[in-house]
Amino acid sequence: MSTSEPTALTQTTPADLTAGASDTSAPVVLPLDVRERTAIVIAAFREARSIGLVVRELRALYPRVIVVDDGSPDATADEAAKAGATVLRHFVNRGQGAALQTGISYALAHGAEFLVTFDADGQHDVADLPALIGPLARGEVDICLGSRFLDRRAEIPFFRRIVLKAAVLFTRVTSRMRLTDAHNGLRAFTRKAGLGIGLQLDRMAHASEIVDQFYRSGLRYREVPVRIRYTAYSLAKGQRNSAALKVAFDYLIGRLTR
Amino acid sequence: MNTFQGAALMVFSLLTAMTLSAGLRGLVRKRIVAVWLAIWTIGALAIVWPRSTFLVARWLGIGRGSDLLLYLSVLFMLVGFFYVYGRFRRLDRQITVLVRRLAIEDAERAESERIPPTTPRDASWSQDAS
Repeated sequence: MSTSEPTALTQTTPADLTAGASDTSAPVVLPLDVRERTAIVIAAFREARSIGLVVRELRALYPRVIVVDDGSPDATADEAAKAGATVLRHFVNRGQGAALQTGISYALAHGAEFLVTFDADGQHDVADLPALIGPLARGEVDICLGSRFLDRRAEIPFFRRIVLKAAVLFTRVTSRMRLTDAHNGLRAFTRKAGLGIGLQLDRMAHASEIVDQFYRSGLRYREVPVRIRYTAYSLAKGQRNSAALKVAFDYLIGRLTR
Repeated sequence: MNTFQGAALMVFSLLTAMTLSAGLRGLVRKRIVAVWLAIWTIGALAIVWPRSTFLVARWLGIGRGSDLLLYLSVLFMLVGFFYVYGRFRRLDRQITVLVRRLAIEDAERAESERIPPTTPRDASWSQDAS
């Protein structure tokens, strides 16, 4: 950050920071200097329809939005750029894990102190970010993981719930991190935690891999309730329930051949 | 010696000649040449003297020589698949590293040239990095 005198807007008081702690009823806005030091990383593949809206919603409060277009044949990159994101392009599709790592590397190289991973299909809620970034800014933890199961508002389709719960069990067996929601794309972490990430599983199994790496870092973490908006679009665009086995296989082979 | 044995022996001598010539020209490492020569020799031996496989099989506790060959070929194939799969994964990772590097460098070049009016950035972002 620049060392110029803080204005009323950018000044961070402890009261501002605690505002995002637990109270979710009132809309919470993080202090500007925290938001300026936050980079939001979005991996996008064929998301031309939703990415513009998602980026605009984020950019209204968070100036640093990095979209990694994972070789989409459609206008994903253009829409993201039009909405004001920094766009990185994989000119060949490499998978979501690969794209996230690209965005994280870029954000770290450009001095981001807080990093957020966010999904491109509009399933995450910008209003959840203060609860995720707040604990990092207050120095309480280094990693905040979103959990849809901690959230009372959650309306998760029945079969999706079963598959996700199975994924949680899987993660408990393979990693030692006790989580209620293993495959949530909404996470926030500090620069320190980000530097410890090196995703090697290019496709969807990165969700387990990132949890492993967080766990091995020994840094403090916390789960935070977040809302997932299951829309017809996000369900059609997202992972099919049947993809779960493939992801598990990918992950196990990845651990064997590391 | 029957026709099949003659044909197979010709194939094996051809393979041996090819292996030797590749080794002499330095295209293949000596150790690898030795491995291939051993494989061709064992193959030729098994063709010319079929009873040898039976003797080895009986020594290992397998009933028939052809069973031994079957088991061995399956084993070799599995090892081969695993090796190729490992190579494939490594290649996959290398491509990702390459694509990532290009994506980041492209973005940074665009940034320094200040091309995109659509991606507003202010100075504080790059100052943060220092």
